[in-house]
Amino acid sequence: MQLQIDHASLQLGNKLFGPFNFSIKAGERIAILGKSGAGKSTIVRLIAREHQLKSGSILINGTSMNQYSSAQLSRIRGVLPQNTQIAFGLMTDLVIELGRVTAPNKVNQETIVMQAAQMACAEHLLGRTFNTLSGGEQARVHLARVFAQLWDANDGLILVDEPVAALDPGLQYQLLSTIDRFAKERNHAVLAVLHDINHALDFERLLLVEQGRIIQDCPADHGALVDLERLYGIQLEHLRDSQGRSVLIQVHPSGIYP
Amino acid sequence: MSDLCHTGRRRALCTIAAIPAAWFGKPTWAARTQSISSRQRLICIGSAVTEIVYALEANDLIVGVDTTSIYPDAARSLPSIGYSRTLSAEGVLSLSPSQILCTEDAGPPVVLQQIQDAGIQIRRLPAHHTFTGVCDRVIAIGQSIHQQTRADQLKLQLQQQWARIEDAMKAKPFPNTTPRVLYIHSMNPSQVMVSGQETNANAMIRYAGLRNAMDGFRGYKPLTPEAVIVANPDLILVTDQGLQAIGGRSQLAHLPGMERTKAILSQKVISMDAVYLLGFGPRMPEAVITLHRQARALFG
Amino acid sequence: MRQTASHFDYSTWITRLGIFFIGLFVFLIAVNFGAVDIQSADWLHLFSQQNGYEGASYVLWTIRIPRVLLAITVGAALGIAGALAQSLFRNPLADPGLLGVSAGASCSVAIGIVMLDGFRFIPTEELRVWAIPFFAFLGAIAVCFCLDYVARVVSPGSIAGLLLTGIALNAFAGAVIGLCTYLANDEQLRSFTFWTLGSLASARWLMVGVLIGALVIGWAWIRTLLQDLNALTLGENIANHLGVDVLRLRTKVIVLVATLSGLAVAWCGMIGFIGLMAPNLVRICLGSDQKRVIPYSAGVGAILLVIADTIARTIAIPAELPVSIFTALLGGPLFLILLRQYRSRLN
Repeated sequence: MQLQIDHASLQLGNKLFGPFNFSIKAGERIAILGKSGAGKSTIVRLIAREHQLKSGSILINGTSMNQYSSAQLSRIRGVLPQNTQIAFGLMTDLVIELGRVTAPNKVNQETIVMQAAQMACAEHLLGRTFNTLSGGEQARVHLARVFAQLWDANDGLILVDEPVAALDPGLQYQLLSTIDRFAKERNHAVLAVLHDINHALDFERLLLVEQGRIIQDCPADHGALVDLERLYGIQLEHLRDSQGRSVLIQVHPSGIYP
Repeated sequence: MSDLCHTGRRRALCTIAAIPAAWFGKPTWAARTQSISSRQRLICIGSAVTEIVYALEANDLIVGVDTTSIYPDAARSLPSIGYSRTLSAEGVLSLSPSQILCTEDAGPPVVLQQIQDAGIQIRRLPAHHTFTGVCDRVIAIGQSIHQQTRADQLKLQLQQQWARIEDAMKAKPFPNTTPRVLYIHSMNPSQVMVSGQETNANAMIRYAGLRNAMDGFRGYKPLTPEAVIVANPDLILVTDQGLQAIGGRSQLAHLPGMERTKAILSQKVISMDAVYLLGFGPRMPEAVITLHRQARALFG
Repeated sequence: MRQTASHFDYSTWITRLGIFFIGLFVFLIAVNFGAVDIQSADWLHLFSQQNGYEGASYVLWTIRIPRVLLAITVGAALGIAGALAQSLFRNPLADPGLLGVSAGASCSVAIGIVMLDGFRFIPTEELRVWAIPFFAFLGAIAVCFCLDYVARVVSPGSIAGLLLTGIALNAFAGAVIGLCTYLANDEQLRSFTFWTLGSLASARWLMVGVLIGALVIGWAWIRTLLQDLNALTLGENIANHLGVDVLRLRTKVIVLVATLSGLAVAWCGMIGFIGLMAPNLVRICLGSDQKRVIPYSAGVGAILLVIADTIARTIAIPAELPVSIFTALLGGPLFLILLRQYRSRLN
């Protein structure tokens, strides 16, 4: 799908966010970086239609997003939330199955749930009650749910809001690469809010957000170093790891490497 | 369809059974009662009714009474059908009554309707808080239980008693102004009410030659301190049961607004049995003169 | 997964049959207990003699059976309404009262009894008996819709807003009831207080039929909403992302709760605890999947109310005690016992 945001702005309380101007092409992978409170999650929530626009427009495939019903949107756009709490203790199978609540055909539901769980490394969590899982495990189940939701769609969009914050490092990379693989298989675009710069470098494009505005829209490589330094107010150093991949390391204020 | 499960199935069965059967004619319960005995089986609801039946010496006809029927003592050992306002249809029917005599506060209406539908006659006997009402009750009950002669005699007795009482009260009126009485109705400490005009208590106060201190309203209203202070009654009238419910005379004095009243300051409180005072049964004339005499004793 | 599925099925059917047989057993026992002594001969009388029942058959047919059936249907209605309210507010402490059902019903009954002087303008006693339930039902529905409308205007798109609006409307209804209570005379006050106690004494075949109809239609509708309600458990936002129209779902649930609960309150006054307890009991035993919670809440609610009502009308024969006492006495300890078992299972 083609998502276009045109001079979109909104007001939350006293704070004004926007205007935002950018577009997402099918299959593109974009990471949003910025300080806390800058407005990263706000952009995601805007596209997830959790907030109303004050001005501007959001177009999906040329049509205004407001023309789409919730059900229609849910078949092309999935959201992985930051907060994983749920009200009652549902079984994880059911949570994943709920991804397909608006799916037109319910054939093969069990198979899809199983495969989505496998893909999200949550297969061993099936049959357990959601509320007994740890934060990381809950995040994986939600991921499986999003996979199930967009399982048989193509050219969709996955919105990801700081999903890996509570996970251990090994799991962080695992999850991000899973999302990557899933998206590539179906040509879904991914828009992710992240905190870790190096996670972001695995994406194609970076959106740097500061004080409610996008200050830079650039490719995700070491060329963004200067902008990132300015964004976070830190010093970065560009290195290459043993495989030759770019890594940006934060320089410790006192000059000693971490 | 399988989701329509157990409850749906059960209900379906019952609906199927109900539809044809419910169209049949009204069945009667009376047939059964007649087969038990040709004798009358009375249920008396309301202390006045029970007392009148006892006064007509027809108490062997009674098969059930309500919770207010506490006089005479023998009535307490009769089967109790509960509080007169919350009757149970099945409970009443299980006693196989031939008829039911009740005061105006029997209820709920739905249950009375069910009992009537079963073919049992319910005779409502209001007294409207008047002496003539009491006499009417006596005559009506006499008719219902085929004891007209005794009822006429009882009515005559009551009328003669009433005439004597009226003469006695006129002969010795209160020396100064008529005392002003506050009647307090208190079934539990958190719900204390006072009587205005047009209540049973008000009627008894007036009959006893006294005045109701509260005259701005009708019925029972919650006790408010300012109203009590303004009314400043000379005498407080309560029931034994009510007094017990709020914890005795000492607690009465501590009710909001009461401490400064003339009545409490001069300790003029009269307490009488609730059913005796407010029942409007055959002891009503006696209750009037008792109240009058006790008030006279307090006011010289 | 295959293996798990068939194991699931087996235990589900055992549970369903279990509840059905418990229900049937409870029904038969309840119908046999009562002030009037009913023998097997009277049952035969019921089915053989077509018109003009005699004696105990009369009580059985006109009073006892309708009452037990009313207890079943009202218990089921309250159970479902409670389960729906809890799923809407995503809180196990919610009950239909939060949506203003009891407040609305009480308020309009109070107004009817006090301002309209107990419906004395209705000529016949027979019709008058229908006046209170009719008013109560209207009141319940009116407040619920009012609540939905006000919540929409004041705090659109939020269920938390619904809760707060509900509290405000409840307070307002309370004030109106307080005023009516003050203005009431003794008889009116007692009449109203009795209504609020709750009682199944007024059971009639017509009302049982109406409730059965409402339950059947209601269930047919609720079935289509079950998965959406499950999605709501994940949170309002997530439910929206998944494509569930939360606002419309909210309205549908309000209509269902208002109707089922309103009918129950209208005819029987306030019977507490069932709407709160039944869904919680089901959740402890069978999990929180709405596809299970809602239907089983109906069954558990029905059984609880039948047992409570049977005790209420047999413990002090020939008098009767308010049924709410026993719904609380039954529901509370039962809940605590189950909670302990659930806790120990977790450990």
